[in-house]
Amino acid sequence: MSPSLKSSGAALWQRPIAAIITLGLCVALVAGTAWTVLFEIERLTSSKADGLQWSLSQADVEFLNFRLQLEAAQDAIDAEVPPEDLRRTLRETRLRFDVFYSRMQTVDFAEPFDSIEREQALTRARAEVTDFLDRTIPLIDSDDAALAAALPQIEADAAVTGGAVRAFSLAALDAFVRVADANEASLIRKLSLIAAVLFAFIAGLSLIALVLMRLTREAREHAEQAEGRAKRMHTIVETSLDAIVVTDDLGVIRDYNTAAERIFGYRRDEAIGRRINDLLLSDDQANELQRVVHKVLKARKRGDRVLHPHEVIAVDRFGRRFPAEISFDRAADDEHLYVSFIRDISLRKAQEEMITQARDRALAGERAKSEFLAVMSHEMRTPLNGLLGSMQLLRDHDLNETQSELLDLMQGSGHHLLGLVNDVLDLAKFEAGKMQAETRPFSVSRLMDGVVETTATLAASNGNDLNWSWVGPASDRLNGDSRKIRQILLNLVSNAAKFTRGGGVEIEVEMLGSDHNQIEFRVIDSGIGIEEKDLKRIFNDFETLDSSYARQAGGTGLGLGIVRRLVDVLDAEIGAESEPGDGSLFWVRIPVSEAAAAEQTSEAESRPAAVMPMEVLLVEDNEINRFIAREMLESEGHQVTEAVDGQAGVEWANAQRFDVILMDISMPVMDGAEAACRIRAGNGASADVPIVALTAHALPEEIERFRAVGMLRTLAKPIDRKVLASCLEDIAAGRLSGPGLPAEDADVAAPLIDRDQIETLLAGTGVQTGRKLLERFTADTDGCIAALVSGPGDRAEIARLAHACAGTCGTFGLIALRRALADIETKIKRSQQVTQEELSALEPLWRDSLDQLRAIDKRLALA
Amino acid sequence: MFALPRLARRLAASVLVAGSLAAPALPVLAQSDEPILLTVLNDEGTVLAEFTLEDLEALPVAEIDTSTNWTDGMQEFTGVPLSALVEAVAPDAKALDLTAINDYAVTIPRDGWNADYPILAYRNHGETMSVREKGPLWIVYPYDVSAAYRTDVIHSRSVWQLDRLRVID
Repeated sequence: MSPSLKSSGAALWQRPIAAIITLGLCVALVAGTAWTVLFEIERLTSSKADGLQWSLSQADVEFLNFRLQLEAAQDAIDAEVPPEDLRRTLRETRLRFDVFYSRMQTVDFAEPFDSIEREQALTRARAEVTDFLDRTIPLIDSDDAALAAALPQIEADAAVTGGAVRAFSLAALDAFVRVADANEASLIRKLSLIAAVLFAFIAGLSLIALVLMRLTREAREHAEQAEGRAKRMHTIVETSLDAIVVTDDLGVIRDYNTAAERIFGYRRDEAIGRRINDLLLSDDQANELQRVVHKVLKARKRGDRVLHPHEVIAVDRFGRRFPAEISFDRAADDEHLYVSFIRDISLRKAQEEMITQARDRALAGERAKSEFLAVMSHEMRTPLNGLLGSMQLLRDHDLNETQSELLDLMQGSGHHLLGLVNDVLDLAKFEAGKMQAETRPFSVSRLMDGVVETTATLAASNGNDLNWSWVGPASDRLNGDSRKIRQILLNLVSNAAKFTRGGGVEIEVEMLGSDHNQIEFRVIDSGIGIEEKDLKRIFNDFETLDSSYARQAGGTGLGLGIVRRLVDVLDAEIGAESEPGDGSLFWVRIPVSEAAAAEQTSEAESRPAAVMPMEVLLVEDNEINRFIAREMLESEGHQVTEAVDGQAGVEWANAQRFDVILMDISMPVMDGAEAACRIRAGNGASADVPIVALTAHALPEEIERFRAVGMLRTLAKPIDRKVLASCLEDIAAGRLSGPGLPAEDADVAAPLIDRDQIETLLAGTGVQTGRKLLERFTADTDGCIAALVSGPGDRAEIARLAHACAGTCGTFGLIALRRALADIETKIKRSQQVTQEELSALEPLWRDSLDQLRAIDKRLALA
Repeated sequence: MFALPRLARRLAASVLVAGSLAAPALPVLAQSDEPILLTVLNDEGTVLAEFTLEDLEALPVAEIDTSTNWTDGMQEFTGVPLSALVEAVAPDAKALDLTAINDYAVTIPRDGWNADYPILAYRNHGETMSVREKGPLWIVYPYDVSAAYRTDVIHSRSVWQLDRLRVID
């Protein structure tokens, strides 16, 4: 409420008080006046003065009568009337005296004489009269004879006193007139007062009437305003799209708007008086509503005024259950009323559901795509490595010039292809979120030498100089993820080398920060440069700038995208500055810490050093692999002895002392683990020789198992020449503990079929091709499953079949089947028993999967 | 009690004509040896009755204790209610003319008296009143009882030194 309203409220409050005070004053005035008037009436009605004038005149008259009677009596005596008459005359004389006497007494008692100051004239005259009366009484009261004798004396006395009587009555009359005058004045005063009081009274009443009129008008205005507000509120309630339901403490509906009629289907008169729980909510929601009510009331007690919507399941007249959002609060003017807003959110829910499904499908499609990419890249890398390895070995033979050039070309293309495949694989790894930063000590100078060495060929082929240098104090020993740093630098330097012709690529290294907690690498080239507008998008995936150079240089466009991801993983920063035509500068700042100087580096890519020639026992069943590995080892100057299976390996190991044994794991007759175990267990010449496991696919617990049987290192196939060299170098130096293979994440419980993957696959290939692929896949898998179900005795055969089948199943999205096959393969690898039931279970699983697959295929074909 | 009242011979006929022969209430003629306090006359001036103190005392007695405008302090009047007197002398009286020894006179109409008031007082403080003390008879109202008995009219009717009473039919 605004202050102005408050103050007007106070004024309103004061006005009745003013009226009450005025009224009180009026009443007091009237009461006072009434009392005065009553008193006056009493005074006037009880007047004792009325008879005074009469008495005064009478006094004269009666005195005169007395004197006349005296004369009459004297005459009677003189006439010597009979005694009877004389007696009567005397009695009459006495009587007249008494009457006069009595009159004087009465005058004395007249009230005006009590209040006025008796004047001298009055008192003197009165005293004379009194003296006369006192003198005369004994004479009057004496017997007839004495009285008769005294008559002349009394008469003379009376004649003298007559003047006093007259004087007395005149003086008294004068006094009386003055008293009457005073009384009159007093009466006038009082009447004036009464008039004034009446005037004040009327004025007061008028004021009150005015105030009352004003109050009435205000009350009417308030009533009109309230009515207006009520109408507006009614309009608001009725135009609301949400149902508004007013209930009391017991949940009985008290009011119900038209939106509620529309949503719930009950008419207003049907709904009012029913309980909201019975009518509008499904049976199981009553407790829910109760809970909501308590929650809201508690929130209000805490002072939380925010309305939180709650979701409930509502039911309409026709039994339709629908999700509804309810928000409610206690009515502001009545704490026993609750106002609920109920919104039908079934449409919103349905839309949300659709969006969620669409998102899930899109994500699944995305995942399937990257998995497919990863699988394909991985599958491509194996033969590619075979090709590249062979080409490398081919160089060791005598080649003519043309052959050598062709080999260069092949090798260049091969490396390029491998680069593309590796990029895609890296990207897939990033997408799968498998990339994590590692921290271990490394040498900056060694790292930089390696980078320069690796990219030197590329730089030289474009006629570029390539150098690196420290800026500021050098700090060679650092802790950080050298592998990722190396990859970042390789990508940046290769880019620089690619886009520079006959110029230079300079790499500057500088330690940043007061405590050298950041290292900055700057790759500066004098190449074509990048347009300002393009600088922002160069770190995007598949981004190749539309220039002739770029086309010429080729590439997936993933290089900088991968760099960006690596930078994110390392929590580093990257940026680029460029002037078109003047070259570019890419900088990257990576958080590092300084390492203890003496610590030995454990880098995998340490320079290939001159290793002491070693006697190597190579146990490998695959002829190609065996050949490549042998060639690699021999090119490093090592002596190689071959064994074609585990059994042969054990025999060789027992017979001869080797410096190292390279042991393939998956082999017929006796696998690598078994062989290693036997070598260690036996007392052969090479029982304590380091054994390195070779495997294309190893589980983490397998690597542990390999360790347990004495294979301290595991190398991933296909074998990388440098990794192999580094491994042998470690062994020569006695450093045997090495990194295992990264563990594959266990699959989560999967549905029968990954619909999105197969849809993506088929949609991508087109209907015709898709149909052919599907037919071939069906035929192959049919045969494979049949073979497995028939239960071949050979465990290796089961593993092979399962492995082959699982690969294609994965491609076609048959998740459940692939999982089942992989389980079987894993069990066999772990030398666990595979039961016939497990194998037989594959058959129905395959049928179900196939049904679904065909259904999807049919739908896609129709579409 | 007192002996049979001595009727005025001149009155007897008219009384008989009026047929008011109710013996105990008949007006009396004063004995010659007792002073006559009140003389009741008719319109024509004929004496209807004369009352001595004894006669008056034989009538119903009423007492009024009151102050008056003309006396000092409380008075204790004893007398006969005017109504009783009228009833005894002239039950059909429409008004009374009261006249005092000092020749003061006033008329009291029929509605001027009721069963109790005023009284015709013949004693004050148990004593008869002399002429000097506004006796022998005094019309007295209970002035202290109500303002209605303190009006000018009432005061004018409070005749003292009363000795004649004329009945107006």
